Amino acid sequence: MMLRRSAALAAIVVLAAAVAGCASSGGAAAKTIEIGIDLPLSGADASVGRSTLNGMLLAIDQANAKGLPGGYVLQADQLDDAVDGVHSPEQGVSNVRTFVSNANVVVVLGPYNSNVAAAEIPITNAAGMAQISPSAVSDGLTLGSDARKLRRVNPTLNTFFRVCTTDSRQGSAAAAFALKLGLKRAYVIDDDETYGLDLANVFTHDYRKLGGTILGHDHIAKNTQDFTSLLTKVAATKPQLVFYGGTTSTGAGLIRLQMFDVGLGSVPFMGGDGIPDIATVAGKRADGTYYTVAAPNVEKLPSARTFLKQYRAAYHANVGPYSANAYAAAEVAIHAISRALVANGNARPSRMMVLKEVASTDRLSTPIGTIGFDANGDVKEPVLSLYVIQNGHAHFIDQIDVKPEGA
Amino acid sequence: MHEFLAQLVNGISLGGIYALIAVGYTMVYGIVELINFAHGDVYTLGAFVALTVFAGLGVSGELHGVALFVDSGLALFAAALACGVIGMLIERIAYRRLRNAPRLAPLITAIGVSFILENAMQAWKGSAPLPFPAVFPNPIAHLRVVDVSAQQAIVVVLAVGAMIALQFFVARTRTGAAMRAVAQDRQAATLMGIDVDRTIAITFAVAGALAGLAGFVSGAYYQSTWFLNGFAAGLKAFTAAVVGGIGNLAGAMLGGFLIGIIESMATWILGGQWSNVTVFIILIVALIFRPTGLLGQRVPEKI
Repeated sequence: MMLRRSAALAAIVVLAAAVAGCASSGGAAAKTIEIGIDLPLSGADASVGRSTLNGMLLAIDQANAKGLPGGYVLQADQLDDAVDGVHSPEQGVSNVRTFVSNANVVVVLGPYNSNVAAAEIPITNAAGMAQISPSAVSDGLTLGSDARKLRRVNPTLNTFFRVCTTDSRQGSAAAAFALKLGLKRAYVIDDDETYGLDLANVFTHDYRKLGGTILGHDHIAKNTQDFTSLLTKVAATKPQLVFYGGTTSTGAGLIRLQMFDVGLGSVPFMGGDGIPDIATVAGKRADGTYYTVAAPNVEKLPSARTFLKQYRAAYHANVGPYSANAYAAAEVAIHAISRALVANGNARPSRMMVLKEVASTDRLSTPIGTIGFDANGDVKEPVLSLYVIQNGHAHFIDQIDVKPEGA
Repeated sequence: MHEFLAQLVNGISLGGIYALIAVGYTMVYGIVELINFAHGDVYTLGAFVALTVFAGLGVSGELHGVALFVDSGLALFAAALACGVIGMLIERIAYRRLRNAPRLAPLITAIGVSFILENAMQAWKGSAPLPFPAVFPNPIAHLRVVDVSAQQAIVVVLAVGAMIALQFFVARTRTGAAMRAVAQDRQAATLMGIDVDRTIAITFAVAGALAGLAGFVSGAYYQSTWFLNGFAAGLKAFTAAVVGGIGNLAGAMLGGFLIGIIESMATWILGGQWSNVTVFIILIVALIFRPTGLLGQRVPEKI
């Protein structure tokens, strides 16, 4: 009996200490505003995820060095959405729920991948919290009936924004570009995910419309290692191009590797912004891979020069494919928070206030150009760039300004 | 016709890898009636060990002449040895104490061991796919009816060679005889003076070594490996063992080649997204209509 009482006493002491700890940390956090960051930071997606995170952290560090209205300090709260090395919608949902339950988080940056975004949007929509992705390009996230379904809790409220352009523009650009290279017979493969399937379908549609021949369109199963059967079938159709909708981690790397084993090694391979890191798997055989990135080539943009210099100084590494986009996404969030702070008399703004400011972003100057959002949460002036891998290095080929549809 | 033969060749080389893994499932099941779910991860470990050996030897590309045999022989030997030892350790630590426990207990520890191996490999080399040096020279032989790449030939030769050796080992050696005796009746084998623990340990070692060989071969064949590869490959090899008749060596080999060919044909005819579905439908159909498999016999008291 005595023992039990002392145990109970101990429990009370611990509990009291925990409560006191909460109170004191709450006091310290009074002037802190948190930005939730959800990206794939481990495994196959880590190389692009890390460089994306760095872009965001750079913007946040710079904002803190400059100071925010009311003496507030921004704090990055980053979570990894990769499970077993691959981006996971389930983990993304769990991460965003963590952000929603933390009252200090007023805005979410990320995710990287479209299927993760599709899972997360209903949660930020229900919570009324703005979410800005540097790179999730699937059309259905912002457009059409798919986007309406994602906004089912608050149908009139859009919480999802992106600083990149969309799949359909990427697929269209790739189709036009392939034909410009004189590649008129293409075989299309995709990974059956939100991003990959969309990209492959748009490519197929536009390629046909522009006079190209689609020899076949195949989907692959998750975690496939052996693509020789599929590629033997592809080889039999004698393609001039193999187009892949998907990411390096879902199969692009292995497909490119195994193309050489069935005599397709000299055939160009093309994809979207899911495969700039293809050489991590395909090594030297990545040569001859073309890809589009739903962002301008920052190395060519005058507005990006300062950013590039600062990024290299801070991380002693070159930028990743979406570092500049990530920096721009973070800048959108930071400016929105600052404006909301001012509008609220330098008091902590609510999530809804920040969301309103994000949505009304217009002509914000960033390393990737001036950013403003339309009613769907898409950028008003999207830009795409094209690259090819030669001798293990990515070479910039061309940059395309895509006029918004119907404009 | 040409394409059919090409897909057949693809299927046979894929099947060779499945067969090497399936034999391990079936040997272990035959002797202790346990589905060793950690076996697929032992296969991945084989690729990891071979990769480490190649890195240590400074091998980064195609090997020729003496180096081809010495370097890849070393990597192969190291992979088989390490996986054999790991197989024995797994048996000693996770299964031996549970040999007389309810059937479900070792099955659950097997799944636990699988997770431990996966996470250990992730901690060792990270969770990204790893490039594996393309050590085998790969000229493509244009035979009259079909093209066969040297890599595919090597995979099949190694797989078939290992299995002939295994058949000989089980059928002709004293240890093989002891293994058969223990599989048939453990108590009687003990009474005949057979060291049952030792025999079971050797079975796990041989199964592990074959998985290690399969891991080495698949690494070199696909020029890539990943810490989770063993999961899908293990399930398919398990399917192969069941289709062939679990507990039956020849059945596992037959099943392995069969599953490889079926997977290739499904990819060719139905499309890539249906390959896994087809394989597992076959598993379900086999379990329902012919649980003893193609070459298995109806034996009382198996799972």
